[in-house]
Amino acid sequence: MSILKLEDVGYRYKDAPKDQYVFKNINYEFEQGKTYAIKGKSGSGKTTLLSLITGLEKCTEGNVLYDGKNLKKMNLDKYRNTDIGIVFQSYNLLPRLTAIENIILSMDVSKVKIKKKKEKALELMKSVGLSEEQAKRKILKLSGGEQQRIAIARSLSYNPKIIIADEPTGNLDKETETEILNIFTRLAKEENKCVIIVTHSQNVCDRVDCIYDLEKK
Amino acid sequence: MYILKNSLISIIRNKGRNILIGIIVLVIACSATVTLSIRNTANNLVKNYEEAHDIIATISFNRQQLSEKFEGGEDAIKNNIEAFNEIEAITLDNVKNYGDSSYLKNYYYVYSTSLNSDTLTKATDKYEYEVEDKQTTTSTTTSTTGGENAGGRMPMGGPGGGGERHTFTNRNTTTIITRTKETFQSGRNLTGDFELDGYSSYDGMTNFIDGTYKITDGEMITDFENFECAISSELATLNQINVGDTITFKNPNTEATYDFLVKGIYKDNSNDDDSANMYSPSANTIIVGSKIIEKLVSDDSTLVTNITPSFILQNEEAITPFSEEVKAKGLNEYYTVNTNLEELKTATKSIENVKTFATTFLAITLIIATIVLLVINMINIRERKYEIGVFRTIGVSKFKLTIQFVLELLIVSLIALCIGAVIGTFLSKDIGNSLLQNEIEATQVANEQILDNFGKGGKPMDLERATVQVQAINEIDAVVDFKVILQLLAIGLGLTIVSSLASMISIQRFSPLTILKERS
Repeated sequence: MSILKLEDVGYRYKDAPKDQYVFKNINYEFEQGKTYAIKGKSGSGKTTLLSLITGLEKCTEGNVLYDGKNLKKMNLDKYRNTDIGIVFQSYNLLPRLTAIENIILSMDVSKVKIKKKKEKALELMKSVGLSEEQAKRKILKLSGGEQQRIAIARSLSYNPKIIIADEPTGNLDKETETEILNIFTRLAKEENKCVIIVTHSQNVCDRVDCIYDLEKK
Repeated sequence: MYILKNSLISIIRNKGRNILIGIIVLVIACSATVTLSIRNTANNLVKNYEEAHDIIATISFNRQQLSEKFEGGEDAIKNNIEAFNEIEAITLDNVKNYGDSSYLKNYYYVYSTSLNSDTLTKATDKYEYEVEDKQTTTSTTTSTTGGENAGGRMPMGGPGGGGERHTFTNRNTTTIITRTKETFQSGRNLTGDFELDGYSSYDGMTNFIDGTYKITDGEMITDFENFECAISSELATLNQINVGDTITFKNPNTEATYDFLVKGIYKDNSNDDDSANMYSPSANTIIVGSKIIEKLVSDDSTLVTNITPSFILQNEEAITPFSEEVKAKGLNEYYTVNTNLEELKTATKSIENVKTFATTFLAITLIIATIVLLVINMINIRERKYEIGVFRTIGVSKFKLTIQFVLELLIVSLIALCIGAVIGTFLSKDIGNSLLQNEIEATQVANEQILDNFGKGGKPMDLERATVQVQAINEIDAVVDFKVILQLLAIGLGLTIVSSLASMISIQRFSPLTILKERS
């Protein structure tokens, strides 16, 4: 049973000619407990597709269905703070907050009831390989890999069914990339998450269960 | 709840920006407190003054209109008096009819007549006394001449004309016409020696209220229907009358006598600076109840009376309708309804000016402050664009994000408002009184200039009174009360909302994806 389904999804920019689509007729299905890679060259529309899946953009054609429900009819804020966790290439953490505050903020925003938020945040940070001492640091005092781990921990904070990551290892060295990929694999296998990684890295593609190659339409 | 938490974290971690906003709001709060407290206190003072001083309508002659009927020439005075007498005087019934109006709070009147007395001496500058006749005998030389001077011409004589006096007898028949002099005067002049002022209530005793008259012995009449009276201290001294004595007056027409019990003796303070007369104008004025005058008139309807009504109006808006109502009830065209409104306005003019200045100052301050805060917020929102993008991607709704940004500004503003209000409270009294003092001095200088225009020796009474009344309210005592605090809060809230408009609009328009792409 797919948790996320893309039905004939097409997208074109508002100011583009009518027949000039970034992509068209995309039909992908995603299940829980599996890892997916959406592969494509630069400009193929990987990040745009991620935006459609996360509800940050609306598709021009077709539908995105989450758990059988059309995103067009859903409260997208609630969808983003409850059902799907997003990990951005540039992390998108709030620099004025500490690492743990970023995670707790995400819990606060979520509609999911979470008890003992601080303990849960520390536990999550530990699960992505961060210490308590690192938790108290401001974001800008953490390395790229550490920030990426924080971003992953944040995306897990409200226990969403889907984790979607945009080039999560693009800025990281190979060793850190492997560690991050291990985390994603564990999340799918042990915590039954649907992990979708948008990437052009072959290394990532080699580690996932299913690859969707986004050809330019 | 997390919105408040985020707001507080944001305030603490963006100290520089928030301190700057805080200082601006503090200055606004300070000046707003001062101006609001001055404004409100001024409002209260004016309101209290207006409540304490009713708008009173009186009826008076329109002499300008009357003078159009006047004639010149040989019999002018007689004809003019006749014209005057033709105009119907206001009667007690008229006053009661006019007083029955929904535009009035109340009304009172002074019903006056005059009586004589065989036992009392009138206080007057004139003193008539009898002396024995003296006869002087002189001898004169008289020569009589014949009828040569048929025309009755007078020969040369008189001073420098010769040394003898001559008596000429006209041989023609001389007819002597004796003319009896008649006193012709207005039928409305009180002719007796003593003026009895009958008051309908204590409200009408304005001279006692404003301190012109003051009871110095005994008390004011308590029964307006009995033959009680209060007399002037001058009359009391002249006639050796004490409180508790009975004095007798006589109707000048019917010779009927009336005994009055003296309940009080009053002093007229108005003659302190009047050196022209020996006695005050009120020396022969007897204060009685109006019912007594009504009794006297019922005994003798020919008794000359005057009535001076005063109508206490409900409010300023009632002036015109009441005036029209009185005219509709038959007030003669030669009478006009006047009020003391101008006098009341003059008394509060200084404070009204201060109030206007305070309001203008507040408006300008608020406009400038709003613009400055709006600009700061616009810069702020551009700086925090990335933050907005992150919040939106993690699922914070536009509404909640807007609330958070407004809340941040509101918290800073409230703290600054509180501090500003405290500082403003200390400043408001001194600044308010200083402003008022300047305004009073300016008004006094202007009034004195007008008085000078009339010549230094002759200050017109009305203008002199106006100058005095400028100082009727000469201290503001501005206080920050609950109303001021509420107004400050409203200003704070208004400023926050208006200056947050930039945040509100930006948050609604920003696309999180675009923001994050730009950042990347």
